[in-house]
Amino acid sequence: MLYIGPSLFGFLIGFILGTRIKEDEEVRFPISSYIVILIAAILMAWQLGPFPYYKDLPLASGFIAAFIGIIAGRIIRG
Amino acid sequence: MSTILKIFAFPASILIICLGISTILGGHITPGGGFQGGAIIAAGFIFCAIVYGFEKTPFKFTHRFMAALESIGAIGYILLGLAGILFSGYFLYNIGVDLYNLLPGMSSVFNYPDAVHAGIIPYLNILIGLKVLVGLSAVVITFLEFKGE
Repeated sequence: MLYIGPSLFGFLIGFILGTRIKEDEEVRFPISSYIVILIAAILMAWQLGPFPYYKDLPLASGFIAAFIGIIAGRIIRG
Repeated sequence: MSTILKIFAFPASILIICLGISTILGGHITPGGGFQGGAIIAAGFIFCAIVYGFEKTPFKFTHRFMAALESIGAIGYILLGLAGILFSGYFLYNIGVDLYNLLPGMSSVFNYPDAVHAGIIPYLNILIGLKVLVGLSAVVITFLEFKGE
């Protein structure tokens, strides 16, 4: 069972910070670079592992939720 | 700054920010918490601000945005403390756990939905994280905007 707390608040904080990402002409990253960052984020979350008492997923759910929140904020409001 | 740094800094800062958020969220069961996580998030922002320059950094922290985050952090902390006074008579009493059994039936309202049910502690960590993130970022923005006499 996925714990709602870290997933929800990780997404919220990530979304708030993702809305502030505004790339201009000089600093612009294509979608392919975001896919590379996603793979790196999944590897990092896998190595971090769940918190001591969390047994819901084999990776850090708050970390992944934060990354999804940043990307969502970047797409929706960035 | 060099091209290699410009290619590396923004993706790395996204991962650093995710790590900071993860640190904030684990503050009640692992080492770290609001201050450390907020400092890590601010480090991600500062990394970008130094490499790209404050004008061209992809993370645009405006004055209004930072004021809003700082206010939410401070007001939320005070409100959680006042909720403790209101319901139990003690400032910052953990009304989500109710260790002294002062509020029968009340603890489910402020309960944090995870494995350890830490009450309001994770919420306090999140609010402190927002405050520290803004505070450290504001210091660096002030230094970067300083043109000298």
